[in-house]
Amino acid sequence: MAPIRDKFTIHSKAVVCQDVDLKGDITIGPNTVVHPKATIFAIAGPIIIGAGCIIEEAAVVVNRRKEVMRVGDGNVFEIGCRVESPSIGNYNTVSTRARVHHTVRISNHCVIGAACLVVPTEDEILDDFAAIYATSDSAASGSNVISSMAVERRTWSGRGKVQEADLRTKHVEYLREMLPKFNRLRRGDSV
Amino acid sequence: MDAPVYYSKAEFIETDTGNKVSRRATIAGPQNIILGGKTIISSGAIIRGDLRRTGPGHAVVISLGRYCLIGEGCVMRPPYKTYRGNFNYYPMKIGDHVHIGANSVIEAATIGNHVIIGKNCVIGKFTIIKDCAQIADNTVVPPNTVIPALAMFSGSPGCFIEDLPESTQEMVEAQTKQYYTRFQPLDR
Repeated sequence: MAPIRDKFTIHSKAVVCQDVDLKGDITIGPNTVVHPKATIFAIAGPIIIGAGCIIEEAAVVVNRRKEVMRVGDGNVFEIGCRVESPSIGNYNTVSTRARVHHTVRISNHCVIGAACLVVPTEDEILDDFAAIYATSDSAASGSNVISSMAVERRTWSGRGKVQEADLRTKHVEYLREMLPKFNRLRRGDSV
Repeated sequence: MDAPVYYSKAEFIETDTGNKVSRRATIAGPQNIILGGKTIISSGAIIRGDLRRTGPGHAVVISLGRYCLIGEGCVMRPPYKTYRGNFNYYPMKIGDHVHIGANSVIEAATIGNHVIIGKNCVIGKFTIIKDCAQIADNTVVPPNTVIPALAMFSGSPGCFIEDLPESTQEMVEAQTKQYYTRFQPLDR
């Protein structure tokens, strides 16, 4: 395999901290915030991240496939999550320490609950408003691996969607103002 | 007493009040973080003091009490919400004798004294943990949960499992103090 060539295109309105691990061909859209200690790896194909996304600390975004990994607008990847999906729509939430495998495509307004593992063996598309969450028996067994079997799903009615989107834009606004005061930022193609 | 836990002297910075902070920990906005003394911050921990409340003046973001332990790879960040239409982060307060296991993610609003949190836990936003509570390994506590005093929580979502004995306070106090004395530098 050809060596990974680094090419970072970071929009001038994006906030990407210095302490972020980037590898490969990465495009980051306007108003997107990448917290320190996050990791974005474009191993095989490029990664294109849309506008207004938040990628929190210790989150890992990986593209293992040859094709372009597209992440839409207004997504939140919370602390320590790992996302390998080849396509992600708009306004999705991947909660703290969740893992999404490369076999899953995420549509819009999906929520992956905290510490859930989404690893179907066959390709799957999560419909709009899908919510995945862990149930009590999964972790009560005391296992450190929460299996995908014990994870349940249901469809979100979409109630409070406007409020959620509003919170998100305000959050991005806040971070865009606050993060540069305490962290060094990274610019495109300067590494 | 149990065998000492050694650390390399070069890795940790010791302050006048006995706090031991790893150089490999990521501490953002240190001017907004208060450590009570004799607190240990292990390597790989991420503490976000930069997510402060907007407004004039000095804002404390994270305050930790005495004899606390932040395990390896822990993430501590203050919780956020919108209140009356304004988005803000809110301070996080942690009491004395609190041990937090490795790789846990803490977004609690308040944690009382003598609390023990296990490994790989996720503590949701605005959780309030009262004194002497304990949280088992791999627990996922949903946002806005209130964990009462002397309760043991476990599972995903975290649920009440059992009451803890009244001697918990003394036990945890002794345990945290002993851990601090066991945590010794190794010259080399």
